Amino acid sequence: MQTSLPISSSSETQPKMKQHCDHQADCLKMIQLILDGEATEQQLEKLKVNLETCQPCIQMYHLEKEIKELLQGRMEKKCCPEKLVATIKARIASFS
Amino acid sequence: MPEIMSDTPTRGYTEDQKYQIFNKEFMPHIDSMYNFAFRLTMDEDDANDLVQDTYLKAFRFISSFEQGTNAKAWLFRILKNSFINDYRKKSKEPAKVDYQDVETTYNSEEAEVEHTVDLRAEAVSDLIGDEVATALNSLPVDFRTVIILCDIEGFTYEEMAKILDIPIGTVRSRLHRARNLLKEKLRDYASSMGYNEENEE
Repeated sequence: MQTSLPISSSSETQPKMKQHCDHQADCLKMIQLILDGEATEQQLEKLKVNLETCQPCIQMYHLEKEIKELLQGRMEKKCCPEKLVATIKARIASFS
Repeated sequence: MPEIMSDTPTRGYTEDQKYQIFNKEFMPHIDSMYNFAFRLTMDEDDANDLVQDTYLKAFRFISSFEQGTNAKAWLFRILKNSFINDYRKKSKEPAKVDYQDVETTYNSEEAEVEHTVDLRAEAVSDLIGDEVATALNSLPVDFRTVIILCDIEGFTYEEMAKILDIPIGTVRSRLHRARNLLKEKLRDYASSMGYNEENEE
């Protein structure tokens, strides 16, 4: 049983790697659901198969994952200025 | 304040309880709220105003918040509505591409040929945060919003549907379109940096 992704498999013993896919747009939607944690078990199973047999799926999966990680990890997270926190607290306190 | 009242019955909190809820359930989200406001307005002063307005509204209408429920989603919803109602109207930005136009365009395009953007993971892996931010900022605000909520803040589709007052199916399709747009922007960056220039095999 192969566990790692067969990114470039040319061996004849491997299942034939699909280089072209007619359902790319649908697969992309499924990949996004999976990365968002919104996929069904069935979709997860399907992706597992595709990641072993379909080159376009492998590439799309890596791209979507990379972009999601870029957005999560590499963009600056703005913190609320202390002054604003103090202002809000003061305004709220004056309500009572 | 219809956006807050929604369908929940109001609760009779004592003054002490109100402050307790405010401090323990609302204030811990202030950095996320500020970041959201900044990503929406792209301006620190506007983000300041938006966050302050939102927290004051949240306190005034605290009786429509059910203690122990999802405070973060509740606050984000108020902020999003304040942004639409107050900020966007007086926005000094020149009228940008209208979201409806964009959605219609993409709907009709995608109805025929669902397109995927030709971009490789390796081409974006070297982009820095500022470049990603610029690409994100160049998207129409409704598309920007779903990406912020999902990818940056980690809300579920169901939470996003509540925050944005749209069906889950719309969340899904808007997110999909937003990501295609973002990829187009990132592809432009990547190719201007000299990546993604491989020829067809």
